[in-house]
Amino acid sequence: MELVSTLVTPDVVIRRDTPAGRTRVIGAIMSLMALFIFWVFALGATSKASSIITFNPLNTSGGAPWHLASLTLPSRVSALVLAIIALAAGIETIVRVPASRVMARFGFVSILFLLGLFVWTVRSSGPSPTNFIDITDVLVNASGITMVLIFGSMSGIMCERAGVVNIAIEGQFLGGAFIGAIVASSTNSFVLATFAGAAVGALLGWVLAFFAVRYRSDQVIVGVVLVTMIASLTNFLNLTFLTPFQQYNTGVTPSSIPIPLLDKIPIIGPLLFNQDMFFYMMYVLVAGMSFALFKTKWGLRVRAVGEHPQAAATVGIRVKGVRYFNVILGGAIGGIGGVAFIALHGQFNPGFTSGLGYIALAAVIFGRWRPSGAVVASIIFGLTSMLASGLQSFDVPVSSEILGMFPYIITIAVVSGLIGRVRAPAADGIPYKQD
Amino acid sequence: MSENKTSLWQRYLSANPVTMSFLAIFLGFVVGAAVIIFSSSDVLHAWTQIFNSPGAILHAIKVTLDNVGAAYRAMFTGSVFDPTILWHALTTGQDWTAALTPISETLTYAAPLVIISIGVAISFETGLFNIGANGQAILGGIAGTAFGSMIHLPMFIHLPLTLACGVAAGAFYGFIPGVLKALTGAHEVIVTLMLNYVVAFFLLYSLLSTPLQLPGQVNDLSRVILPSAQLPNFFATATTLRVSWGILIAIGVVAFGWWFLNRSTLGFDFRITGANPNAARASGINPKKIIMYVFLISGGLAGLAGVVQVDGTTHSLDGGFLIGSAGIGFTAITVSLLGRNKPINVFWGAILFSALGVGGRIMQAETGIPLDLATIIQSAVVLFVATPVMVQEIFRLREGTLHTVELNTKGWSS
Repeated sequence: MELVSTLVTPDVVIRRDTPAGRTRVIGAIMSLMALFIFWVFALGATSKASSIITFNPLNTSGGAPWHLASLTLPSRVSALVLAIIALAAGIETIVRVPASRVMARFGFVSILFLLGLFVWTVRSSGPSPTNFIDITDVLVNASGITMVLIFGSMSGIMCERAGVVNIAIEGQFLGGAFIGAIVASSTNSFVLATFAGAAVGALLGWVLAFFAVRYRSDQVIVGVVLVTMIASLTNFLNLTFLTPFQQYNTGVTPSSIPIPLLDKIPIIGPLLFNQDMFFYMMYVLVAGMSFALFKTKWGLRVRAVGEHPQAAATVGIRVKGVRYFNVILGGAIGGIGGVAFIALHGQFNPGFTSGLGYIALAAVIFGRWRPSGAVVASIIFGLTSMLASGLQSFDVPVSSEILGMFPYIITIAVVSGLIGRVRAPAADGIPYKQD
Repeated sequence: MSENKTSLWQRYLSANPVTMSFLAIFLGFVVGAAVIIFSSSDVLHAWTQIFNSPGAILHAIKVTLDNVGAAYRAMFTGSVFDPTILWHALTTGQDWTAALTPISETLTYAAPLVIISIGVAISFETGLFNIGANGQAILGGIAGTAFGSMIHLPMFIHLPLTLACGVAAGAFYGFIPGVLKALTGAHEVIVTLMLNYVVAFFLLYSLLSTPLQLPGQVNDLSRVILPSAQLPNFFATATTLRVSWGILIAIGVVAFGWWFLNRSTLGFDFRITGANPNAARASGINPKKIIMYVFLISGGLAGLAGVVQVDGTTHSLDGGFLIGSAGIGFTAITVSLLGRNKPINVFWGAILFSALGVGGRIMQAETGIPLDLATIIQSAVVLFVATPVMVQEIFRLREGTLHTVELNTKGWSS
């Protein structure tokens, strides 16, 4: 395997992650966010206004964590402090042009922005009917969509590291969700539903691989067509099957499994250790994939196939075999993501994933084809999606349709402003022809 | 197929593009039939009974053919013509309206689809993937409706300006992914897909919270386009025949597309860039400029499609405008692949797919089989078109001048 290891670009190289010009642009964006916090959130609150941040979940049916007293903040001063910190981070980025961790800085400022938004939204005598926000609830609400995105992006990474673009994640979600709803409703077992969803996802992955690997069709076309086809097929079957037989779409949801003691930690407990089985499955998946792709022989082979299939074939790796295996596995992961989605939503509705699969694809690119990066991207997108729906209940003076655009606009902004030209696996999307 | 006859027939049996397209369409219908069979409880029940009595297998086959046949018959009579009504019209000279209604409906749906597909085909020819045509068309429709319904002008100027508004809005919305890709390298597939969702929310917003909403209305309905801005019906006397002058615009766009891709300098640059970006760059073509132009033109045509749809057919917008089961932009992708990005073939592909869509509605009304079947058939057709080698293997065709769909999206980093 010596030869192969030289083929694969080592992932830990001292290099500038982001070009200097783009780093400055990101720094400028961060400074603008800081100014926004100042102008809108700090000056938008009266000097006497206060905001209350609580940490105990409103719904404590799963067992309440240890109590944490709520925090009463003066709205204007807190927003001002947040703005100053954010501005400092932005200017530091512009002036010093750090070679790495630009994204970490950006994420930090985004979190400050979010906190500023919360403080402003729930300020007393503000537009909201309540003057407190529950951080734990906000995070728990965002965790569901984040989990589905992580499943989707793992599916994408699995395929793309082997050199097959998987645009069909959305289709795998829908297929997995459809079959998951039927199996979960009829057997009341989400374990069986997971297997069924994985099987359907694997089948869809096989179809993608069949066309992309065996017949070398354009992978983007096959992916888009598969999504269209699965979307209309699930619509079709929903009308012909689920509508007349509603006992197969009852909307059961799995119960949460609290992990003793750990679930008592405030904030983190309800967020990470009192979730349904899919959430724990996600931990295993992310850890397993990070390890398998970068620390094992198998991962090296997969990455070799994704970077330089001809060379990989020269050292005896079966390129097509690897691609088939990975795309089918990726499809299965996407299918499980669909079941996880149905576990969140209960009932199947046609087209209800509303582009989540494509956002997962953006998370793959944002995360630079690494599981850890994709997790960070998914958290960002999950939080924005939650904001779109969550802020409506706080009566912010923005109409719900405009808020609904948020996740998508932020995806575009992230993909174009922060990521730009990325280095995908070199053979990603290029059909392999055996000579 | 004997050996010594190397004739026209043999040439038909080789894998030439026309044969391949027809076979792909045929296979698409086979997939549709399979979906009908596996989702119809009557058919499945008949097949479970085949071991009960000797004649049962024949009965099962009959039930199958009846079900599939009824669906496809309804599709045909609903979108092309109904033989009995046509015969009645031919022999008595009456009821021509009823006889022409199906084809009129097909052409009504085809007009915007042709226009938007030409736009998508132009982007494909350049190696760029405009999945956002749907959003561009919706924005074009919104702009056209706003101009056509809220501004009063005489017709000779109002109608052209309404159409121009749609083109401008579509071009603007197409320009966003184009400029982002050219300047920052953001991949157009993701940006255009996201913009589709953004415009869907914007449509609801403009129908619910702006003056575009029909006065006194709480639902998501827009004002109606004034008669001075409407595309007139083709047959002014028979109002049930909805086909409008939009179909002539569509034919004009086909001619424009043909001229643009085959005769114009810019179109030549487009095709060079699509065929070999490195060669294009070496010969002095600025790829960034090309990307922006492609999305301007493609988006402009999509916007025109949107405004033709609302101006010629519906005359007002609702929350489901052009979104449908798969969205006109996605159908356009399949149409331009089916037509292999050649404007004239794209035209016929659009007619076929509108016939499938219109016939699908009649099928849903008559047999209860959901309209989504039409979309399933369409996507299956494209899957086969994109995979000519497989079709060739299925029918054991001889090697021909096999034109695969050359799109070459070239990964993410391009």
